Amino acid sequence: MNIIMQLLGRLHPLIVHLPIGFIVLALILSWYDRKEKTFTNGIAISFLWGGITSVLACISGYLLYQTEGFSFDTIKIHLWSGIITAIFCFLAYARKKDAPRFIVFNRIRSGFYLLILFVLISITGHLGGSITHGEEYLVEPLPNSVKSLLGIEVFEKQEIILTEETWEEALLYDAIIHPILNNKCLSCHSSKKAKGELILQSPEAILRGGENGDVLVSNHPDKSALYTKLVLPLGDDDRMPPDGKTQLTKAEVRLISEWIERGNSFEKSNKELGINVELVKSFFPRKINNNYPDVYVEKVIAQFIDSIEAMNVYVEKINKESHFLSVTCINQPTFEDANFALFLPIAENISMLDLGTTRVTDAIFSELKKLPNLTVLKLDNTTITGENIKELTSLQHLKFINLASTQFKEANLSTFLEFQRLEKVFLHNTDIKAGNMKAFAAKEIKVDFGNYALPTIESDSIIF
Amino acid sequence: MDNFEKLIQEKIALEVEAKTRRHFIKQCATGIGGLALSSIFMGCDPFSSTPKQKIQFSPRDLNPLSTMAPPFSPKAKSVIYLHMAGSPSQLEMFDYKPILEKLDGQPCPDSLLRGKKFAFIKGKPKLLGPQAKFEQVGESGNWVSDNMPHFKKVVDDVAFLKAVNTDQFNHGPAQLLMHTGSPRIGRPSIGSWATYGLGSENQNLPGFVVLTSGGKAPSAGKSVWGSGFLPSVYQGVQCRSKGDPVLYIDDPKGISRNIKKSTIDAINKINKEEYTKYADPEILARINQYEMAYRMQIAVPNVMNIENEPENIKEMYGVEPGKESFANNCLLARKLVEDGVRFVQLFDWGWDSHGTGHQTALDLGFRNKCKDVDRPITALILDLKQRGLLDETLIVWGGEFGRTPMQENRGNQKMSFKGRDHHGDAFTMWMAGGGVKGGVSHGETDEIGFNGVEGRVSVHDVHATILHTLGFNHEEFTFDFQGRPFRLTDVHGHVIHEILA
Repeated sequence: MNIIMQLLGRLHPLIVHLPIGFIVLALILSWYDRKEKTFTNGIAISFLWGGITSVLACISGYLLYQTEGFSFDTIKIHLWSGIITAIFCFLAYARKKDAPRFIVFNRIRSGFYLLILFVLISITGHLGGSITHGEEYLVEPLPNSVKSLLGIEVFEKQEIILTEETWEEALLYDAIIHPILNNKCLSCHSSKKAKGELILQSPEAILRGGENGDVLVSNHPDKSALYTKLVLPLGDDDRMPPDGKTQLTKAEVRLISEWIERGNSFEKSNKELGINVELVKSFFPRKINNNYPDVYVEKVIAQFIDSIEAMNVYVEKINKESHFLSVTCINQPTFEDANFALFLPIAENISMLDLGTTRVTDAIFSELKKLPNLTVLKLDNTTITGENIKELTSLQHLKFINLASTQFKEANLSTFLEFQRLEKVFLHNTDIKAGNMKAFAAKEIKVDFGNYALPTIESDSIIF
Repeated sequence: MDNFEKLIQEKIALEVEAKTRRHFIKQCATGIGGLALSSIFMGCDPFSSTPKQKIQFSPRDLNPLSTMAPPFSPKAKSVIYLHMAGSPSQLEMFDYKPILEKLDGQPCPDSLLRGKKFAFIKGKPKLLGPQAKFEQVGESGNWVSDNMPHFKKVVDDVAFLKAVNTDQFNHGPAQLLMHTGSPRIGRPSIGSWATYGLGSENQNLPGFVVLTSGGKAPSAGKSVWGSGFLPSVYQGVQCRSKGDPVLYIDDPKGISRNIKKSTIDAINKINKEEYTKYADPEILARINQYEMAYRMQIAVPNVMNIENEPENIKEMYGVEPGKESFANNCLLARKLVEDGVRFVQLFDWGWDSHGTGHQTALDLGFRNKCKDVDRPITALILDLKQRGLLDETLIVWGGEFGRTPMQENRGNQKMSFKGRDHHGDAFTMWMAGGGVKGGVSHGETDEIGFNGVEGRVSVHDVHATILHTLGFNHEEFTFDFQGRPFRLTDVHGHVIHEILA
């Protein structure tokens, strides 16, 4: 019996569309019926069946409420408005039929019934939809600006920003724990949704716990569901956030555990709680180490690139979005100093330039300094001696220079100390041997003299 | 009449001959229908100002290997993937388990064996202690065994993944999974995805080169460098380090390079005529392929020749010119990457140490195999480093799975040589170079090295990480096939950020 009741209840979403159809049909027919009065009978039948199917919808709806465990509060308005809809259908039918027993209702204009019924099915339908799809179903796709105009609460991601100067003074809960919960948990555990009756929006709510009791046991992360569920294997039914949702990072999980272990204080700062700097390091602003400078350049005109590529020199964007370009002469070993003029129209955009294995000479340096954003420069396997390399000291962004297999002179080595942002120089297979590099180390410039070897060791000759 | 016109005449004659009554009946239904449709659609296009629109081609239509920028700034430009086919034992190379040494000869606990399947182990196998001496080396203090003495020098450039796992325990499917993301045939390999997504800089060389050593090709066959459903131009080109690098690369006897050139010119001229007729970009791609093949005839033997390398480099790698060896292949890999090849795939066969004989015994043949790769791999890392290429080249090392902490007992009998069975639950891989943090060890196995207990990563995670260093989000890098977008990692994979710089 229960099964049949449950089954009938689940037919509710289907049945509800019948009264809607009949009532809308009656409304439309009434519109055509304004003067001619040819559809009166049809309208009456529509109202009658609208009423009958409304009753069926009410019964199946009631069964659904009984068998699926909805709370009465969530469905009560929907239920009552459904019942009233059914009653009004029969009243409208009686009005159309001019039933003598209902003489009181016949004095009211029939347009009134139509209006009331239209309002009723709109309200009932909307409430029903909100119960099945959730309150935010309709407004969810709206942009945030419209939502806030409508007075709907908007989910806002809270960036965790700490710096080396401020992290000690920041409150652990306010600066880190709350934003983590906000970004990764609140979409299900807010006062609006409260899955498992757990709300993680405020200190009080967190301490209140969920349907399975407390989620926090002070000083014992391994007994606190707030932590243990985070470290279950991905795919475990109890894992939080569940597979498919944005996961907490390792550092975030560690911090939640540390926070509980140190007594889940809501008021103490990182310093007072003795949080280690290693734990919060991942929230410090990242030092970006890219092969292009952090400045804006205009996009180049495609024609310039076409004319360069016609010379068999490849030009490619650093990445799909960037306007910076990487230029390589790998297919053009006959490239000479004189060809450099080709690059001038795109000079600002070149951040990586590969002139390795070409015919360029020391004269190229006075040209290269015209590339203000050059970051990576390859001049390996050329006849360069480094005579004019001083010219490049004006380049603010130059980080890497590859001079492997060139005739670079030891006398020019110290010029690198005058560069502004140089990080690495490759001098493999040149005549220079590593000398005293203290000055370079002080400026954090790595010079790789290469010529590595793997001397023979005893075990090389053993055959097992 | 010159040769070219003769060819054109011949082509026309052949075309006329091909048009039979049968041909007309076969073609007319779709042909006439298509004509009608095209005129219907022509009228529907509100934006067409002229009836004949000029067709726009992307560089990719003309040359499928032309370079493309990745979505994000890449850390690595090229990849060298060193695959030890047969799967080396992590317990004799990088995963040091002192407790396993103490438990040597003890029966393996039942709890570990329950529900497990092994390729050969039957009944109650016994644990086998590490057959090598381990040492903590470098500033990072990572463990390396005495099977890899040279490698200890570069350990601080390498990031270990100690708890990789795979669900395949036979060579073929496991290799396919490792290289295509699926244990069954039909998906493109990593190298194909990379060349499809990025193209290749050197217009005279293929973008994806495969080199094999150890006397045999990998068990999974050529599908491990296949292009799957991607256009076949992205499949790996296998080059040999012995004999001609590519089969039939030399012109046949009596054909000079000039004759070859005029042949290709004639073919291309016909193809261009064909193109003006049908405007099919595939024809342009074909023209390009002919031209590239012609250039490759010079460029490939050149880059594949290691004789001209300086003596000290040859010594460092320990190359044996004229032979097929892993050392030669490592040196070639460097030369190829230096010349702008996108993906170099090395397979070295002979790591399947079951202990069925001298060759596959962990204390004998296996140690020789280690010796064969120890020096070349170390040399490769050092050589790339000194040329400034290590920063932009990702090196990946691994097998298709790992090996059991238990000694193999084939046929449920004690074997006279020491060997280990296939084991996918936990094994070691490492990466070095472009975008990877040096001196890191991510993941940990249990006391005997049976399971990963921390930092477990899957084969898909490795793929996601490789694509990440090349500038791709593995979840967005897709190819539409059979009605849905396909990814290298399909529906799996998380980037292993712990080993990224």
